[in-house]
Amino acid sequence: MDDHAPLESAGIEEPLDLVRLSLDERIYVKLRGDRELRGKLHAYDGHLNMVLGDVEETITVVDVNEETLEEVIRIVKRNCEMLFVRGDGVILVSPPSRA
Amino acid sequence: MDSFQIFTTSTSLVDSVDKKLLVVLRDGRKLVGILRSFDQFANLVLQDTIERIYVGDTYGDIPRGIFIIRGENVVLLGEIDEDKEDELPLREVPVEEVLQIQREEMEVKVRKEKTKHRMLSEQGFSVDAAEFGELY
Amino acid sequence: MVSTLTLCRDRRTQETGCLEELGTMANGLWHDNRERIFLFYSFFKTLVGQPVTVELKNDLAITGVLVSVDQFLNIKLDNIKVVDEERYPHMLAVKNCFIRGSVVRYVQLPAPSVDTALLQDAARRERQQPAAVGRK
Repeated sequence: MDDHAPLESAGIEEPLDLVRLSLDERIYVKLRGDRELRGKLHAYDGHLNMVLGDVEETITVVDVNEETLEEVIRIVKRNCEMLFVRGDGVILVSPPSRA
Repeated sequence: MDSFQIFTTSTSLVDSVDKKLLVVLRDGRKLVGILRSFDQFANLVLQDTIERIYVGDTYGDIPRGIFIIRGENVVLLGEIDEDKEDELPLREVPVEEVLQIQREEMEVKVRKEKTKHRMLSEQGFSVDAAEFGELY
Repeated sequence: MVSTLTLCRDRRTQETGCLEELGTMANGLWHDNRERIFLFYSFFKTLVGQPVTVELKNDLAITGVLVSVDQFLNIKLDNIKVVDEERYPHMLAVKNCFIRGSVVRYVQLPAPSVDTALLQDAARRERQQPAAVGRK
């Protein structure tokens, strides 16, 4: 029970308040479609639409060899200076410590 | 509030009415037709519609007629530049031909996709059943 | 069908009035309850005329000049160019397009045109007044 008091005094009442506290910080975002983002949070709304800056995107791709049917997991990285992310693809948002 | 929500919606489609448009649907289908009407959900009415199937540098057409499309299935709609349309590096072939190739490609794709989903779910990524129907 | 069409056309004039009523983020006019819904809508309006790249959930990426946006974040682009053209032959003759907001994955923005301080400020303020609108 004691744990709850400091959270409330910091203005945390609902899940999205944690996101608010991550504004101007680098966060980790996991998305549908085997994608992950790391970037600085500049804005968000209740749908978890977001604008991120200095973004690194990590895509996990599985290549299937046509003949041997062998599968290889490949990590693709992309960078983007400023990115709007639509909230309906967001699976989770993690505060700065993990990014 | 409600009233003005309605009025700011999809008004940008007004300019496309009565024009020949390409409509891409969520299942990957491509339709070409004349936009006759729409509403705030981007529900569409298309007239003289053809469904165009692309494979490689060929395409085939199926005449479809009038379409009422539910907005949530619309990916995008674009105005076709009729000047550019004639000089494309694409070749029209009988639709049966394209359909045959498309079927074969689809089978390979679905098989690959299944393997991928299995691998990715082992990696902790979400396997979304809905995505199977949307190989667009 | 005809009456729907008339309605669509009427909306154009009504929209103008609504937009004036809104006030833009650029002017810092964030004084009423609507701002919750309109943060990104207003934000995108400040980017009209700028080149953006819209990446869709089907991996299609389209670069073009942002022409308009509505409250569903439907996006209209002009002078479009598809990033991986060979994979999407159906887009070759398309000059402008309307993209349904729900199919967008990302929009890559021109960083110099984004006022990050203003954005952060707006996002912070938006969360501080949830009671005014009620919880979803």
